[in-house]
Amino acid sequence: MSQDLNLPGSVSTPEIQSDWQAGRLSMQGDSYPENSFDLFSQVIDWVEAFLERESRPLALALELVYLNTSSVKAMMDIFDLLEDAHQAGREVDVVWHYDPRNDRIAELAEEFKEDCTFPFAIRPREVPA
Amino acid sequence: MDLLSLRDNYLQQRIMLCFNGPISRSLIEEIGHALRNYLNSQSAAPSAAMDVFAVYIEMTQNIRHYARQQGYGDQDATATLAVARDAEGHYVVSAGNLVEEADGRRLVEAVEGLAGLDAGELKRAYKQQLRRPRDEAAPSGAGLGLIDMARKSSRPLEAKLQPLPSGRSFFSLTATI
Repeated sequence: MSQDLNLPGSVSTPEIQSDWQAGRLSMQGDSYPENSFDLFSQVIDWVEAFLERESRPLALALELVYLNTSSVKAMMDIFDLLEDAHQAGREVDVVWHYDPRNDRIAELAEEFKEDCTFPFAIRPREVPA
Repeated sequence: MDLLSLRDNYLQQRIMLCFNGPISRSLIEEIGHALRNYLNSQSAAPSAAMDVFAVYIEMTQNIRHYARQQGYGDQDATATLAVARDAEGHYVVSAGNLVEEADGRRLVEAVEGLAGLDAGELKRAYKQQLRRPRDEAAPSGAGLGLIDMARKSSRPLEAKLQPLPSGRSFFSLTATI
């Protein structure tokens, strides 16, 4: 059992929660820190550890809104880990919720999805009228 | 101080927001916040507002990264930033900073190299750059950000390099959303 992440988030960094027991990692909000690698290396370490030590499914629940290019690069590293695990027969999946008024984030999610063969859902959130 | 001529100049160039001075991480966040609020109040299309914000972040963070990498002091680690709206209603984001001449030339070449690419080619270049190992990713560090800005622009990016008496040069980049 590895230490779970529970990062509160800030103006430029997303909220991040991991749940080792449930096999779940969630991220919400904007991500544009100057040094994305510092932020995401702990997330990448958690995903790597989970995939190595457990054989249970891993689910990513994302509600990221805006990502700068260095955050995009870090997210690609995470999706690459999931893809490798999926190729090796593991059950992994991503659900990315977005505000339908902001189609830019759906386009970004679609571009990530192009390089993934595991289940990757991109779903508009219902907007209160 | 002649504020009126400053104001006339801004109005003439349709500048909505501008900044000149040392740029910190928190200032980037604060100005970004003001920019988003302004775009919302203008009822900008959410996708256009997002593109303007994204280009602003890439430009200012590139400037910060470069100044840090060069070990510039506060005096040289400054940015000049302007967000305007052109006659056709397009948002225009410009940012400039002091650079070593050779770095500036490389940047201008990189921008000119992107100008001839269509949307499909820019996407391919973006994905290629994304997969390059971190330490090889362009000596200026600006590789991925430049392609991203080019993809969000409705016209090719414009780069300009102007030599200064100090021996350094002023590099400026303009993106029209």
